[in-house]
Amino acid sequence: MIIKNWWKILSVVILLYVIIVGMATPLSPGITTASPSSAKVGNSLTLKVEGYNSHYQDAENIRAWLKIDDELSICAGEIVASSNNQLTATFIIPDQIPSEEAVQPTTLLLSNEIDGTSVFPDAVFITKDSITGSAGWNCMIEDLYQNDQYDFPFRNILAETIRNLYFHVPLWFGMIFLFLASVIYSIRYLRNPLDNYDIKAVAYAKAGILYGILGTVTGAIWAKYTWGAYWSFDVKQNMSAICLLIYAAYFVLRTSFDDEQRKARISAVYNIFAFAAMIPLLFVIPRLADSLHPGNGGNPALGTDDLDNTMRTVFYPAVIGWTLLGFWMSELIIRTRKVEQHLLEDE
Amino acid sequence: MNWIQQTIQLFLKEVRLELRQKYAISGILLYVLSTVFIVYLAVVRIEPPTWNMLFWIVVLFASVNAVAKSFVHESSARGLYYYVLAEPSSVITAKIIYNTLLLMLLSLLSLAAFSVVADNPIKETASFFLILFLGSMGFSVTMTFISAIATKTNNSATIMTILTFPVIVPILMLLMKLSAAAIGLLPSVGNIKEIMMLLAIDTIAISLVLILFPYLWRE
Repeated sequence: MIIKNWWKILSVVILLYVIIVGMATPLSPGITTASPSSAKVGNSLTLKVEGYNSHYQDAENIRAWLKIDDELSICAGEIVASSNNQLTATFIIPDQIPSEEAVQPTTLLLSNEIDGTSVFPDAVFITKDSITGSAGWNCMIEDLYQNDQYDFPFRNILAETIRNLYFHVPLWFGMIFLFLASVIYSIRYLRNPLDNYDIKAVAYAKAGILYGILGTVTGAIWAKYTWGAYWSFDVKQNMSAICLLIYAAYFVLRTSFDDEQRKARISAVYNIFAFAAMIPLLFVIPRLADSLHPGNGGNPALGTDDLDNTMRTVFYPAVIGWTLLGFWMSELIIRTRKVEQHLLEDE
Repeated sequence: MNWIQQTIQLFLKEVRLELRQKYAISGILLYVLSTVFIVYLAVVRIEPPTWNMLFWIVVLFASVNAVAKSFVHESSARGLYYYVLAEPSSVITAKIIYNTLLLMLLSLLSLAAFSVVADNPIKETASFFLILFLGSMGFSVTMTFISAIATKTNNSATIMTILTFPVIVPILMLLMKLSAAAIGLLPSVGNIKEIMMLLAIDTIAISLVLILFPYLWRE
């Protein structure tokens, strides 16, 4: 039995791993706020920094930089850590900034031997006086500490919600695989009308629509924490809602036949057509419009910025685990349906 | 008779049937005119962005109504008769061509009606006509096929709408974007990409319909 059901056991093992590792792994140290967020050239700036999971007091050797780009940056003079999560760093801002614009955004870098290096983009906006130039921006960023602990990257907007990546994205992947399986059985039904194929096509579509709903819900919760609203009419949100409507229509269509064979054949035809219609909805239209999602408007999707190697060790298993669980659920639906049919025949 | 002749004959049959009964064309004419008039009464001053939206919504609803009855004439006895005589693919092709022309006529009518009551904001007329043609073709392919599915059910009017609307969304969104460019609301640079995409969707839809229709027909 174990040999026959290896993939079900695999899905449980993988999902346990995903939930335990995905939830228990700490986030790497990061910076949550830095204030004040603006400064004028030529002044001294005392920057209050709040860290997350950081060890400012325990660390022996903290250094801080404000950088414009890889070439131009200034070092902090005095750094006082009042607790592990709070420090103040004093910067003397030079008299000039190299930008033609009136305001120059700078990135804050903090480095110590326990936490490694944390980055806070657009930390301080420096207002220009009149001179344009790069004099004074000459403290090189060197000898950064590396963080070699096993942890997930800290991202300012995401923070702890980055773990939702192991639920939201794999659920969508699983949905696509389930719908694909459903379409394959619909095609097989048209080629060879066996009841079995119809039952399978329906079961995979049911599990797929469940995954679609869960994907939308996990996405909405994530959106609440990152974009500020459960539903922001982002193009991908809208398209996935329409995609669920297409499959909801599939189930409504199935209820409007009396004849079983006719129901099976016509809904198989619609299923194939609907799958083809779903492809542009999910993969073409979102690329035409601006979206808040990563992967749109020039953002990388599964590139190095969003998915580092630590996250990959959980993300790829999560995709496999959720997909297998979906197929397991479909198999239960298939078996229940077969038992029901068997009982009907006995009556 | 070869496939092309068959298709032409079936297409001519659709036209003849229409000219004899005239209820589709006259019905649609009144439908479009009354909808446009209601839209005008409700909105009164129609700005170009609203114009674009209302125009395509009116065309969408009128199209669903016009195409929904494509297969109503096909009673089982007559269906069987065609089935003996003709290829299923030529039956659906003839209907798609007929519906494309019908929808083209319908959208031109809507355009005329809109121009009368709400002005005509179109800047690039030629490209707008191209959009109308591509739109009519896409609507016709999708809706004709879905009406073939819907007429087999017990509840065809509702089924027609709930199956059509989600499936038509990609085409409709591309059309609205293209026509916004033709009205001058968006820059028309890079339109070629969207037109190609619309053509691609239309082509995929046509090939799927030609593959799948025989399975609906064979009853």
